[in-house]
Amino acid sequence: MTYPIDRIRNFCIVAHVDHGKSTLADRMLQLTELVDPRKMREQYLDKMDIERERGITIKAQAARLPYKPLGDVDDEYLLNLIDTPGHVDFSYEVSRALNACEGAVLLVDAAQGMEAQTIANLYLALEADLEIIPVLNKIDLPAARPDEIAREIAAIIGGEPDDVLRISAKTGDGVAAVLDSIVDRVPAPSGNPDGPTRALIFDSIYDAYRGTLVYFRVVDGSVKPGDRIRLLATGFEGEIDDLAVNSPEETPIAALGVGEVGVLSAAIKEISQAKVGDTITLAGKNAREVEPLPGYREPLPMVFSGLYPMDSDDFPDLREALDRLRLNDASFTYEPETSAALGFGFRCGFLGLLHLEIITERLDREFNIPLVTTAPSVRYQVTLEQAIDPDTGEPKVVEVSNPQDLPDPGQIASISEPTVKAMILTPAAYVGAVMQLCEGRRGTMIAMDYLTEERVELRYQLPLAGIITDFFDQLKSMTRGYASLDYERGDYVVANLVRVDVLLNGEPVDAFSSIVHRDEAYPFGKNMVEKLRELIPRQMFDVPIQAAIGSKIIARETIKAKRKDVLAKCYGGDVSRKRKLLEKQKEGKKKMKSVGSVEVPQEAFVSALRSTGPKGD
Amino acid sequence: MAPVTAADPRAWLLDPVESGSAAGFGLYLHVPFCDHRCGYCDFATAAVGDQAEQDQQVLFDRYLDALVTDLRRQVAAGPRRHAPEDGRGAVGTAWPVVTSIFIGGGTPTLLGGERLAALLGAVHDCLEVAPDAEVTVECNPETASVELFGNLARAGVGRLSMGAQSFAPHVLRTLERGHDAQRPVTAMAQAREGGIAEVNLDLIFGTPGETDDDWRATLEAVLVAGTDHVSAYALTIHDNTAFGRAVASGAMPQVDEDLQRDRFDVAREVLGAGGFEHYEVSNWSLGPARRSRHNLLYWRHGDYLAVGVGAHGHLAGRRWWTTRSTARYLDAIGAGDSPIAGSEVLTDEERAEERLLLGLRVREGLHPNDLPPIEPLALEEAMDAGLVETSCGRLRCTEAGWFLLDEAVSRLAL
Ligand SMILES: Nc1nc2c(ncn2[C@@H]2O[C@H](COP(=O)(O)OP(=O)(O)OP(=O)(O)O)[C@@H](O)[C@H]2O)c(=O)[nH]1
Ligand SMILES: C[S@@+](CC[C@H](N)C(=O)[O-])C[C@H]1O[C@@H](n2cnc3c(N)ncnc32)[C@H](O)[C@@H]1O
Ligand code: SF4
Ligand SMILES: [Mg+2]
Repeated sequence: MTYPIDRIRNFCIVAHVDHGKSTLADRMLQLTELVDPRKMREQYLDKMDIERERGITIKAQAARLPYKPLGDVDDEYLLNLIDTPGHVDFSYEVSRALNACEGAVLLVDAAQGMEAQTIANLYLALEADLEIIPVLNKIDLPAARPDEIAREIAAIIGGEPDDVLRISAKTGDGVAAVLDSIVDRVPAPSGNPDGPTRALIFDSIYDAYRGTLVYFRVVDGSVKPGDRIRLLATGFEGEIDDLAVNSPEETPIAALGVGEVGVLSAAIKEISQAKVGDTITLAGKNAREVEPLPGYREPLPMVFSGLYPMDSDDFPDLREALDRLRLNDASFTYEPETSAALGFGFRCGFLGLLHLEIITERLDREFNIPLVTTAPSVRYQVTLEQAIDPDTGEPKVVEVSNPQDLPDPGQIASISEPTVKAMILTPAAYVGAVMQLCEGRRGTMIAMDYLTEERVELRYQLPLAGIITDFFDQLKSMTRGYASLDYERGDYVVANLVRVDVLLNGEPVDAFSSIVHRDEAYPFGKNMVEKLRELIPRQMFDVPIQAAIGSKIIARETIKAKRKDVLAKCYGGDVSRKRKLLEKQKEGKKKMKSVGSVEVPQEAFVSALRSTGPKGD
Repeated sequence: MAPVTAADPRAWLLDPVESGSAAGFGLYLHVPFCDHRCGYCDFATAAVGDQAEQDQQVLFDRYLDALVTDLRRQVAAGPRRHAPEDGRGAVGTAWPVVTSIFIGGGTPTLLGGERLAALLGAVHDCLEVAPDAEVTVECNPETASVELFGNLARAGVGRLSMGAQSFAPHVLRTLERGHDAQRPVTAMAQAREGGIAEVNLDLIFGTPGETDDDWRATLEAVLVAGTDHVSAYALTIHDNTAFGRAVASGAMPQVDEDLQRDRFDVAREVLGAGGFEHYEVSNWSLGPARRSRHNLLYWRHGDYLAVGVGAHGHLAGRRWWTTRSTARYLDAIGAGDSPIAGSEVLTDEERAEERLLLGLRVREGLHPNDLPPIEPLALEEAMDAGLVETSCGRLRCTEAGWFLLDEAVSRLAL
């Protein structure tokens, strides 16, 4: 059945991490009786194993819900729901979802209150001109403070505290009112049903069996199976084989019109031919004249890390695995690189640390390739001395995302580092502590706003490098978990940076090099060698560990040779136990990477650099 | 050196010169009672000190009965019952002659001379024991008396192994020992008077609070006491003990392996000067004749039968063990059921690993014919690293490699 435009409502659910978006989506699926009660499970729309295990949403998911508002017997509405991720690494998914909707449910945990991603997503929704429906969730919790938080929300977005709906996504209490409110308040899509077809691609994935699947929203006109389509940016042309909607399982459909959301396949061999943000139109002589829809900005990787197979024979497998993963995740990048210590590998770019963690976990789990991951770093811009870019006539700038690629200090005119625009939401009591932390990380305050008497929004420009170590942990521990952080890409800023190298047994280990601020180099080097001394097990000989800037040693430790590893007592009953222990140790050895003649555990490459920033107190 | 290249690659298992079946045949009998459980000890034992004297005696009687029943049943079932299915051909239908008997614990001497004599009598009734077999009983010095030792000597016990642990009073207190430093020395004299020829003293070093001087003084005291065998163990912390819990909670420091190694060196120096030969990682004897033959059987990968609670046996590549619970053991034996709690049949690779990890504990290492196959490159590397060496064709640890045996074995075992 197709729906008249005025019966269609497209909305998304946005919130801070864990405020209950996916759980609310569950209740909506149940209320509209779309899912067989026997098949219902928590966070139904979180389909990936990793999402289910970690209890977080990584990928936005759409679902089509037919809904009859209370008392309205005849009028059936079509609601298109998009559940979005709350984690900052995946905020580009939220931007895309917002673009496909006219309204947003802003969900706020009634015990936690507004947090940084609540505000960030609110701003995004306002920018996209969406109708915002504020909803307080988790009112069943004993710690819920609905009155107080409703006042807070009203103070920030305007309106009356009483307008804020109160629900429990867990019990289902109040959820029908949310749907009714969506029907009442979210505008129907506007679009020209008779104009040339235009549909926006908001996601595309590669399915091993069915090829490229394209998720889109029709803006003007309509599509049906058999239509020959053209993708404006890439010029791909092909016939729609399958057209379907997610309700929430994929269900074939005869046609989709203005405002509707669906998925199509059209023998698109390369996923790169169906770019997110591209416009779908019908092929034909007028196709070239169709005005493309405003697309999306591609998310750019912010964090870089070297991925090396433990066993160099796995290199081709790793390349294939990365190719495959990238098919469904265009937001991470990789290019081959070599390390004297680790051999052949890839320098990979990620949206953030969680993204990095998820990709490496998938490589391990889905492709079973044991990896060494080097410590995350950022991409620097290095202006070279006495080198002119022939194209621009300006001094030449090179990008460096691997510390080992930093040119010689003599060749460098200046180094710029990426910053972020960070937004921190904190209870007023912790403002001082948060400011101290940010200043300790070379932050520059941009603004400070008392959203209410109790809640303060701080905006800082901060070096990204600081954020990807332990900033978040520090922020949480200094504010007893009450502050929250959101950030977006900021400008490049010149800074006094140096490379700190690490020498193991006198040999530099490129994978341990890092770029840090000169003022932080000494404590950084000291912390680094101390950490490595703990992480690297004792060997058969003394192993000196040194940190150096150029040829200048700035810190030094020694791992003393091990002198005893024999069980004192070994009689009849100890033999099996001893043998099993040895076998376990041998397994452990396989997880070591031999660097020079030193056995270094896999995790040392990342752990040595974790939490190395100056400690706040 | 060329490791064995005999025609049959399994010759080291099937036709050894001094390891495995060639090492003799032992009998281990376990007695799971102590007066008090020392804080470091994870042996299969239970403290009976709080029980009324009469209850103890009833328990000991029941246990002795069960031991004898267990022994008789196992002997009657024949050796092939314990051997792995595919290894039964290598095991005869008759029991080999017993070359060593070890009554361990716990504190076996709590049972008293008469019960232990009865137990040994039962052994002689059902198994053939070599005339020169070594017969050892473990003993806590608190239980010592001339009368006890006299009884034991008459029952054929020729060797006593006694826990002295330390001669520093504060260390004994930390170890929760119930005796003073002088008691083991008196007990030694009583053993001699009772007619027991060989006596071992157990020592523990690296106890928290023990100083270098405490340890030296302990070793000197052992030399004076006139023992002919010393076992000196680095304190090992086991999780499920009072010490393990104290370390986990931070109340007791973790053991310091460097310090333990230093103490090892002191033991080598002092005992060596006193005429003792360091023949196994933790064992010293006054000459080869006074080595512990039963323990050598373990290190030479030999076969032994196991009787009693928490006892472990080994026959032709199968290991088995009985329940650690005395109550369950008594019930099982009473009901005619097997007290065996688990077993494993070892692969050739596992047996090779065991052969190395046990054999290299002994000073002279492994006879070339008894050496399992070793990757030539791994051997070369282990030799280059200074872990092992060859001497008269035998593979043995270097002096330094002896204390890094885990490293050595994990490099050599395939
Ligand atoms: N008590 C209570 N718990 C709730 C409620 N709604 C959600 N939760 C719980 O809150 C946790 C997070 O819920 P999700 O639905 O996964 O949250 P989310 O916003 O989708 O999280 P992300 O996708 O990771 O941003 C889960 O443990 C839910 O069971 C509610 O109304 N009451
Ligand atoms: C069964 S006991 C000896 C006999 C008797 N029960 C006694 O303690 O006097 C065996 C010996 O193992 C040693 N031992 C036990 N637990 C130990 C541990 N955790 N670390 C080092 N040696 C230990 C002690 O030296 C002890 O004397
Ligand atoms: S007396 Fe011996 S067996 Fe008993 S607990 Fe102490 S060390 Fe262990
Ligand atoms: Mg979710």
